[in-house]
Amino acid sequence: MPVTAERPLRAEPTRARPLTRTSPPALAAVAVTKAYGPRRVLDGVSLTVAPGESVAIIGENGAGKSTLMRICAGLIRPDGGGVTVSGRVGYCPQEPGLFDLLTADEHFAMFAPALGLPREQAIREGRRLLSEFAFPLHQQAQCRRLSGGSRQKLNLALALLGGAHVLLLDEPYQGFDHGAYVSFWEHVASWAAAGIGVVVVTHLLADQALVDRVVEMNIAACEPS
Amino acid sequence: MRAQLRARRILVIAKLTGVELVRRRVALGMLTALPLAFYGGSVGRGGGAVITGGVAMAFSIAGASIFVALTARPVDPRLILAGYHPTELLLGRLLLLELFGVLVAGVFSVVMVFGSNPSDPWALAAGVALVALTSVPFGLAVGGLAPHELEGVLALIGVVGVQLTLYSTQLMAKFLPFWGGQRLLDHSVNPGITVGAAVPANILYAAALFAIATYIMRRQAPSVGGAARHGAGTSTPVRVL
Repeated sequence: MPVTAERPLRAEPTRARPLTRTSPPALAAVAVTKAYGPRRVLDGVSLTVAPGESVAIIGENGAGKSTLMRICAGLIRPDGGGVTVSGRVGYCPQEPGLFDLLTADEHFAMFAPALGLPREQAIREGRRLLSEFAFPLHQQAQCRRLSGGSRQKLNLALALLGGAHVLLLDEPYQGFDHGAYVSFWEHVASWAAAGIGVVVVTHLLADQALVDRVVEMNIAACEPS
Repeated sequence: MRAQLRARRILVIAKLTGVELVRRRVALGMLTALPLAFYGGSVGRGGGAVITGGVAMAFSIAGASIFVALTARPVDPRLILAGYHPTELLLGRLLLLELFGVLVAGVFSVVMVFGSNPSDPWALAAGVALVALTSVPFGLAVGGLAPHELEGVLALIGVVGVQLTLYSTQLMAKFLPFWGGQRLLDHSVNPGITVGAAVPANILYAAALFAIATYIMRRQAPSVGGAARHGAGTSTPVRVL
């Protein structure tokens, strides 16, 4: 089935964080198209996120949510259109991209020089982020020995490490227990309050009240709710 | 300052690749035992054992390189997004794997020199070292191209296996990546075999393999690493807001 965007996604912040000439959007995707072979996944999709705005992207399987996120992160190239990002992107993929035989600290150490952080500072900051989501820090376990939820927490912490101007979180809470899940949404609000543009792909209806704006992507059409 | 930062990044990647590799004790043991088994199995057949064992060492080092490349594949885009340059990731892995290769080659050379008493032990050591040197970029290139571990291992078995079945004087052997090493090993037990251009050709082959691995990595790399604009047809940040 061909996928089309009958109406481009539009940014209409519901909170008092209007886009102005002096505050460029944290993220602006304009008329993005993408096809995998003959299957068109995105057709002229546009999405603008203001600094300090939290947006949830919902939609059925195959609507192109993860593809849009990957394009916005710069991981894949769109066939048409473009994306402008203001500042550093923190991207949390749906599937944790981790080294199975390394510990959480070793992951932070690996990311440290890329982010321009001293090793010890990266580990300290990483541990702080993990502790906020009740990660079993005392174990110092290799990733292969972590539960699915703990792996996902590390996945999320790596996206947050070093600070980001835009957070792209693709169903980041999979495997979280209830406490961590609640904490995650509290953090979304606090990140937005700190001026970060936050985009969360989610399937859960309950999540939609926790963000400034909800954007629905359908296979037949992509439109704001 | 910039060079220092690049060096630090490369060393961090090398170090943590080493940590991960060392933790694969069983796989590493099996990979190292494989060429020893090839050598041990053919040691009664005279000088041919040296060539078999030396070339089969590619199984060990290229195998480790393939696993390193494939293990890193899901993480690399995030590392590049965080700020690494694709070449830094590759150079870090190359550095560590070449060190591993030198270590394995050193031990293997000693085993074969004492086990087979070649007429030119230095040529044997040089041949083993050249196989090790070439195995890493070969493994990184295969690891970059292969969609899964199975395909990567099959490519490794195919290329090294074919090289093992050929004499170094055969035309087809010259088109395979370990020809120079094979020729040196051949020369170490058969002084009548000349080395000629085999060594520089092999070094060029290794360099080409590394260039292929770099090209694949850069192609798969994210199109943006920070504040940037990216879209159809662009591959590098063009505008910082």
